[in-house]
Amino acid sequence: MKKVLLSGLGAGLILFLISYFGLMLGIRYFPELFVEYNNPLFNSDGSRDLLFFMHPFIMSFALSWFWARFKKLFQGTIFLRGLEFGFVYAIVALLPVMWITFSSLDITFLMISSWFLYGFLQSVIAGLLFAKINP
Amino acid sequence: MKLLKLFIFTVWLLITAFEEKELASKWVIYKTCSLKVNGSTNVNKFNCVINNYYKPDTLSFVQNNQQDPVKMMGAMKLDINSFDCHNPMMTADLRKTLKAKQFPNLIIKFINLSKYPQLKGQHITGWVQIDLAGVSKKFQVAYQLIPSGTNTLQLKGLKQIKFSDFNIEPPRKIGGMITTEDKLDIEFNLHIKTINAL
Repeated sequence: MKKVLLSGLGAGLILFLISYFGLMLGIRYFPELFVEYNNPLFNSDGSRDLLFFMHPFIMSFALSWFWARFKKLFQGTIFLRGLEFGFVYAIVALLPVMWITFSSLDITFLMISSWFLYGFLQSVIAGLLFAKINP
Repeated sequence: MKLLKLFIFTVWLLITAFEEKELASKWVIYKTCSLKVNGSTNVNKFNCVINNYYKPDTLSFVQNNQQDPVKMMGAMKLDINSFDCHNPMMTADLRKTLKAKQFPNLIIKFINLSKYPQLKGQHITGWVQIDLAGVSKKFQVAYQLIPSGTNTLQLKGLKQIKFSDFNIEPPRKIGGMITTEDKLDIEFNLHIKTINAL
Protein backbone atom coordinates (compact mmCIF):
# COMPACT_ATOMS: atom_id res chain seq x y z
CA MET A 1 0.00 0.00 0.00
CA LYS A 2 2.84 2.32 0.93
CA LYS A 3 4.53 1.60 -2.37
CA VAL A 4 1.30 2.31 -4.24
CA LEU A 5 0.90 5.68 -2.51
CA LEU A 6 4.55 6.67 -2.89
CA SER A 7 4.79 5.72 -6.54
CA GLY A 8 1.42 7.43 -7.11
CA LEU A 9 2.70 10.60 -5.49
CA GLY A 10 5.97 10.52 -7.41
CA ALA A 11 4.21 9.91 -10.72
CA GLY A 12 1.68 12.63 -9.84
CA LEU A 13 4.42 15.18 -9.30
CA ILE A 14 6.11 14.33 -12.58
CA LEU A 15 2.82 14.30 -14.50
CA PHE A 16 1.88 17.62 -12.92
CA LEU A 17 5.15 19.24 -14.04
CA ILE A 18 4.84 17.77 -17.53
CA SER A 19 1.19 18.88 -17.78
CA TYR A 20 1.85 22.39 -16.50
CA PHE A 21 4.92 23.17 -18.57
CA GLY A 22 3.61 21.21 -21.56
CA LEU A 23 0.44 23.30 -21.58
CA MET A 24 2.41 26.50 -21.06
CA LEU A 25 4.74 25.74 -23.98
CA GLY A 26 1.86 24.48 -26.13
CA ILE A 27 -0.08 27.71 -25.61
CA ARG A 28 3.03 29.79 -26.28
CA TYR A 29 4.16 28.06 -29.47
CA PHE A 30 0.91 26.62 -30.87
CA PRO A 31 -1.75 29.11 -29.71
CA GLU A 32 -4.05 28.27 -32.65
CA LEU A 33 -4.60 24.78 -31.16
CA PHE A 34 -6.14 26.35 -28.06
CA VAL A 35 -8.55 28.83 -29.66
CA GLU A 36 -11.41 26.33 -29.41
CA TYR A 37 -11.19 26.44 -25.62
CA ASN A 38 -12.90 29.86 -25.79
CA ASN A 39 -16.11 27.98 -25.48
CA PRO A 40 -18.78 28.25 -22.77
CA LEU A 41 -18.47 24.48 -22.20
CA PHE A 42 -15.27 25.19 -20.31
CA ASN A 43 -15.34 26.69 -16.85
CA SER A 44 -14.25 30.31 -17.06
CA ASP A 45 -14.56 31.80 -13.58
CA GLY A 46 -11.49 30.13 -12.05
CA SER A 47 -13.56 28.31 -9.42
CA ARG A 48 -12.25 24.92 -10.56
CA ASP A 49 -8.59 25.78 -11.18
CA LEU A 50 -7.42 23.75 -8.19
CA LEU A 51 -9.39 20.72 -9.37
CA PHE A 52 -7.85 21.11 -12.82
CA PHE A 53 -4.30 21.11 -11.48
CA MET A 54 -5.08 18.13 -9.23
CA HIS A 55 -5.88 15.91 -12.23
CA PRO A 56 -2.33 14.47 -12.60
CA PHE A 57 -2.48 13.26 -9.00
CA ILE A 58 -5.94 11.73 -9.36
CA MET A 59 -4.72 9.93 -12.46
CA SER A 60 -1.39 8.81 -10.99
CA PHE A 61 -2.93 7.35 -7.82
CA ALA A 62 -5.51 5.44 -9.86
CA LEU A 63 -2.83 4.19 -12.26
CA SER A 64 -0.52 3.29 -9.39
CA TRP A 65 -3.23 1.08 -7.87
CA PHE A 66 -3.93 -0.45 -11.29
CA TRP A 67 -0.20 -1.11 -11.80
CA ALA A 68 0.12 -2.81 -8.40
CA ARG A 69 -2.80 -5.13 -9.21
CA PHE A 70 -1.82 -6.06 -12.76
CA LYS A 71 1.92 -5.40 -13.14
CA LYS A 72 2.66 -9.11 -13.59
CA LEU A 73 0.81 -9.00 -16.88
CA PHE A 74 3.25 -6.47 -18.33
CA GLN A 75 6.40 -8.27 -19.39
CA GLY A 76 9.66 -7.19 -21.01
CA THR A 77 11.90 -4.19 -20.65
CA ILE A 78 10.94 -1.08 -18.66
CA PHE A 79 10.15 0.71 -21.91
CA LEU A 80 7.93 -2.09 -23.22
CA ARG A 81 6.09 -2.47 -19.90
CA GLY A 82 5.45 1.29 -19.69
CA LEU A 83 4.29 1.46 -23.29
CA GLU A 84 1.95 -1.51 -22.95
CA PHE A 85 0.56 -0.13 -19.69
CA GLY A 86 -0.18 3.19 -21.39
CA PHE A 87 -1.73 1.41 -24.34
CA VAL A 88 -4.02 -0.69 -22.11
CA TYR A 89 -5.15 2.39 -20.23
CA ALA A 90 -5.78 4.28 -23.47
CA ILE A 91 -7.89 1.45 -24.94
CA VAL A 92 -9.78 0.46 -21.79
CA ALA A 93 -10.41 3.85 -20.22
CA LEU A 94 -9.60 6.73 -22.55
CA LEU A 95 -11.15 5.57 -25.79
CA PRO A 96 -14.70 4.95 -24.46
CA VAL A 97 -14.67 8.19 -22.44
CA MET A 98 -13.39 10.22 -25.38
CA TRP A 99 -15.95 8.53 -27.64
CA ILE A 100 -18.89 9.52 -25.46
CA THR A 101 -17.44 13.00 -24.89
CA PHE A 102 -17.05 13.66 -28.60
CA SER A 103 -20.47 12.29 -29.39
CA SER A 104 -22.24 14.42 -26.79
CA LEU A 105 -20.33 17.70 -26.55
CA ASP A 106 -19.80 20.38 -29.15
CA ILE A 107 -16.03 19.98 -29.40
CA THR A 108 -13.78 19.42 -32.39
CA PHE A 109 -12.09 16.19 -33.47
CA LEU A 110 -8.71 17.92 -33.08
CA MET A 111 -9.51 18.74 -29.48
CA ILE A 112 -10.66 15.24 -28.57
CA SER A 113 -7.64 13.72 -30.38
CA SER A 114 -5.31 15.95 -28.38
CA TRP A 115 -6.95 14.82 -25.13
CA PHE A 116 -6.60 11.17 -26.16
CA LEU A 117 -2.94 11.63 -27.06
CA TYR A 118 -2.31 13.61 -23.87
CA GLY A 119 -3.88 10.90 -21.70
CA PHE A 120 -1.95 8.18 -23.55
CA LEU A 121 1.38 10.00 -23.04
CA GLN A 122 0.60 10.57 -19.36
CA SER A 123 -0.15 6.88 -18.82
CA VAL A 124 2.99 5.77 -20.69
CA ILE A 125 5.11 8.10 -18.53
CA ALA A 126 3.38 6.82 -15.39
CA GLY A 127 3.90 3.21 -16.59
CA LEU A 128 7.63 3.82 -17.18
CA LEU A 129 7.95 5.25 -13.67
CA PHE A 130 6.04 2.40 -12.05
CA ALA A 131 8.10 -0.17 -13.96
CA LYS A 132 11.23 1.50 -12.61
CA ILE A 133 10.27 2.13 -8.97
CA ASN A 134 7.70 -0.63 -8.34
CA PRO A 135 8.71 -3.45 -10.70
CA MET B 1 -53.94 96.43 -11.72
CA LYS B 2 -53.46 97.27 -15.38
CA LEU B 3 -50.23 98.99 -14.50
CA LEU B 4 -49.00 95.92 -12.64
CA LYS B 5 -49.79 93.67 -15.62
CA LEU B 6 -47.96 96.06 -17.91
CA PHE B 7 -44.97 96.06 -15.58
CA ILE B 8 -44.82 92.24 -15.44
CA PHE B 9 -45.10 92.01 -19.23
CA THR B 10 -42.30 94.55 -19.68
CA VAL B 11 -40.00 92.67 -17.27
CA TRP B 12 -40.72 89.36 -19.09
CA LEU B 13 -40.00 91.01 -22.42
CA LEU B 14 -36.69 92.35 -21.17
CA ILE B 15 -35.66 88.99 -19.71
CA THR B 16 -36.48 87.00 -22.85
CA ALA B 17 -34.95 89.62 -25.16
CA PHE B 18 -31.54 89.42 -23.52
CA GLU B 19 -31.60 85.68 -22.80
CA GLU B 20 -29.12 83.73 -24.93
CA LYS B 21 -31.04 81.74 -27.49
CA GLU B 22 -31.04 77.97 -26.99
CA LEU B 23 -29.72 76.03 -29.97
CA ALA B 24 -31.55 72.81 -30.66
CA SER B 25 -31.79 70.32 -33.46
CA LYS B 26 -33.11 66.87 -34.09
CA TRP B 27 -31.48 64.08 -36.04
CA VAL B 28 -32.88 60.72 -36.93
CA ILE B 29 -31.05 57.39 -37.12
CA TYR B 30 -31.85 56.59 -40.73
CA LYS B 31 -30.06 53.36 -41.49
CA THR B 32 -28.44 50.35 -39.87
CA CYS B 33 -25.86 51.08 -37.21
CA SER B 34 -23.19 48.86 -35.77
CA LEU B 35 -21.21 48.11 -32.66
CA LYS B 36 -17.81 46.43 -32.79
CA VAL B 37 -15.92 44.98 -29.85
CA ASN B 38 -12.27 44.02 -30.23
CA GLY B 39 -10.43 42.08 -27.57
CA SER B 40 -7.75 39.46 -27.15
CA THR B 41 -6.76 36.37 -25.22
CA ASN B 42 -3.27 34.91 -24.93
CA VAL B 43 -4.14 32.55 -27.81
CA ASN B 44 -6.10 34.75 -30.23
CA LYS B 45 -7.72 38.06 -30.96
CA PHE B 46 -11.47 38.33 -31.27
CA ASN B 47 -13.70 40.73 -33.06
CA CYS B 48 -17.39 40.71 -32.28
CA VAL B 49 -19.99 42.81 -34.01
CA ILE B 50 -23.64 43.74 -33.99
CA ASN B 51 -24.17 44.82 -37.56
CA ASN B 52 -27.86 45.09 -38.05
CA TYR B 53 -28.96 47.56 -35.39
CA TYR B 54 -31.73 49.69 -36.80
CA LYS B 55 -34.26 51.56 -34.74
CA PRO B 56 -35.39 54.81 -36.28
CA ASP B 57 -34.78 56.74 -33.07
CA THR B 58 -34.30 60.48 -32.79
CA LEU B 59 -31.23 62.14 -31.38
CA SER B 60 -31.66 65.65 -30.01
CA PHE B 61 -28.88 68.18 -29.50
CA VAL B 62 -29.43 71.20 -27.28
CA GLN B 63 -26.90 73.92 -26.53
CA ASN B 64 -27.79 76.60 -23.98
CA ASN B 65 -24.74 78.72 -24.70
CA GLN B 66 -21.48 78.49 -26.62
CA GLN B 67 -19.42 77.64 -23.54
CA ASP B 68 -21.48 74.68 -22.36
CA PRO B 69 -21.21 71.21 -23.85
CA VAL B 70 -24.03 70.23 -26.19
CA LYS B 71 -26.65 68.18 -24.38
CA MET B 72 -27.47 65.05 -26.30
CA MET B 73 -30.59 62.96 -25.90
CA GLY B 74 -30.96 59.51 -27.37
CA ALA B 75 -29.73 55.98 -26.90
CA MET B 76 -28.79 52.75 -28.63
CA LYS B 77 -30.36 49.66 -27.08
CA LEU B 78 -28.54 46.60 -28.37
CA ASP B 79 -29.35 42.95 -27.92
CA ILE B 80 -26.32 41.09 -26.51
CA ASN B 81 -27.57 37.95 -28.28
CA SER B 82 -27.04 39.71 -31.61
CA PHE B 83 -23.27 39.74 -31.15
CA ASP B 84 -21.42 37.73 -33.78
CA CYS B 85 -17.77 36.87 -33.13
CA HIS B 86 -17.38 35.02 -36.49
CA ASN B 87 -16.91 31.77 -34.55
CA PRO B 88 -19.92 30.11 -32.85
CA MET B 89 -17.88 29.11 -29.78
CA MET B 90 -16.47 32.59 -29.29
CA THR B 91 -19.93 34.10 -29.80
CA ALA B 92 -21.48 31.81 -27.20
CA ASP B 93 -18.59 32.48 -24.83
CA LEU B 94 -18.93 36.27 -25.14
CA ARG B 95 -22.68 36.10 -24.52
CA LYS B 96 -22.07 34.01 -21.41
CA THR B 97 -19.34 36.38 -20.20
CA LEU B 98 -21.62 39.40 -20.68
CA LYS B 99 -24.38 37.58 -18.73
CA ALA B 100 -26.77 37.79 -21.68
CA LYS B 101 -29.38 35.57 -20.03
CA GLN B 102 -29.61 37.86 -17.01
CA PHE B 103 -28.99 41.20 -18.74
CA PRO B 104 -29.90 40.83 -22.44
CA ASN B 105 -29.31 44.46 -23.44
CA LEU B 106 -26.35 46.75 -23.83
CA ILE B 107 -27.51 50.36 -23.71
CA ILE B 108 -25.45 53.33 -24.82
CA LYS B 109 -27.08 56.55 -23.62
CA PHE B 110 -25.72 59.71 -25.17
CA ILE B 111 -25.17 62.49 -22.62
CA ASN B 112 -23.31 65.31 -24.33
CA LEU B 113 -20.86 66.44 -26.99
CA SER B 114 -18.01 68.91 -26.64
CA LYS B 115 -19.12 70.79 -29.80
CA TYR B 116 -22.23 71.09 -31.85
CA PRO B 117 -22.14 68.53 -34.72
CA GLN B 118 -21.53 70.13 -38.10
CA LEU B 119 -22.16 68.62 -41.50
CA LYS B 120 -18.43 68.36 -42.14
CA GLY B 121 -15.56 66.20 -40.90
CA GLN B 122 -14.97 66.78 -37.21
CA HIS B 123 -13.21 65.17 -34.25
CA ILE B 124 -15.01 65.85 -31.01
CA THR B 125 -15.50 64.20 -27.65
CA GLY B 126 -18.57 63.46 -25.61
CA TRP B 127 -19.87 61.53 -22.65
CA VAL B 128 -21.98 58.41 -22.83
CA GLN B 129 -23.45 56.11 -20.24
CA ILE B 130 -23.01 52.42 -20.93
CA ASP B 131 -25.33 49.96 -19.21
CA LEU B 132 -23.94 46.46 -19.35
CA ALA B 133 -24.41 43.38 -17.17
CA GLY B 134 -26.43 45.33 -14.63
CA VAL B 135 -23.81 48.07 -14.18
CA SER B 136 -24.02 51.66 -15.49
CA LYS B 137 -20.87 53.60 -16.12
CA LYS B 138 -20.11 56.94 -17.75
CA PHE B 139 -17.26 57.25 -20.24
CA GLN B 140 -15.74 60.00 -22.33
CA VAL B 141 -15.78 58.90 -25.95
CA ALA B 142 -13.79 60.19 -28.93
CA TYR B 143 -16.14 60.84 -31.84
CA GLN B 144 -15.37 61.13 -35.49
CA LEU B 145 -18.05 62.86 -37.55
CA ILE B 146 -17.91 61.85 -41.19
CA PRO B 147 -20.23 63.51 -43.76
CA SER B 148 -21.97 60.74 -45.68
CA GLY B 149 -24.38 62.61 -47.97
CA THR B 150 -26.79 65.51 -48.03
CA ASN B 151 -27.69 66.37 -44.43
CA THR B 152 -26.32 63.05 -43.24
CA LEU B 153 -23.48 62.16 -40.93
CA GLN B 154 -21.73 59.05 -39.77
CA LEU B 155 -21.07 59.35 -36.05
CA LYS B 156 -18.24 57.01 -35.12
CA GLY B 157 -17.48 56.62 -31.41
CA LEU B 158 -14.33 54.95 -30.09
CA LYS B 159 -13.58 53.94 -26.54
CA GLN B 160 -11.44 51.49 -24.65
CA ILE B 161 -13.32 49.92 -21.75
CA LYS B 162 -12.58 47.08 -19.36
CA PHE B 163 -14.56 44.01 -18.38
CA SER B 164 -13.79 44.96 -14.79
CA ASP B 165 -15.53 48.36 -15.25
CA PHE B 166 -18.74 46.34 -15.28
CA ASN B 167 -17.77 43.89 -12.53
CA ILE B 168 -17.22 41.20 -15.15
CA GLU B 169 -14.33 38.86 -14.65
CA PRO B 170 -12.48 38.29 -17.95
CA PRO B 171 -12.90 34.60 -18.84
CA ARG B 172 -10.02 32.24 -18.05
CA LYS B 173 -9.87 28.65 -19.22
CA ILE B 174 -8.06 25.39 -18.38
CA GLY B 175 -6.84 26.41 -14.97
CA GLY B 176 -6.11 29.99 -15.99
CA MET B 177 -3.66 28.95 -18.72
CA ILE B 178 -5.83 30.73 -21.30
CA THR B 179 -6.58 34.25 -20.14
CA THR B 180 -8.56 37.10 -21.67
CA GLU B 181 -7.28 40.67 -21.61
CA ASP B 182 -9.37 42.93 -19.42
CA LYS B 183 -9.29 45.68 -22.06
CA LEU B 184 -11.84 45.88 -24.87
CA ASP B 185 -11.95 48.37 -27.71
CA ILE B 186 -15.43 49.36 -28.67
CA GLU B 187 -16.50 51.22 -31.77
CA PHE B 188 -20.04 52.23 -32.55
CA ASN B 189 -21.29 53.73 -35.77
CA LEU B 190 -24.47 55.72 -36.11
CA HIS B 191 -25.83 57.01 -39.39
CA ILE B 192 -27.87 60.11 -38.68
CA LYS B 193 -29.82 62.54 -40.80
CA THR B 194 -30.84 66.02 -39.76
CA ILE B 195 -34.53 66.85 -39.39
CA ASN B 196 -34.17 70.44 -38.32
CA ALA B 197 -30.52 71.46 -38.15
CA LEU B 198 -29.61 75.00 -37.18
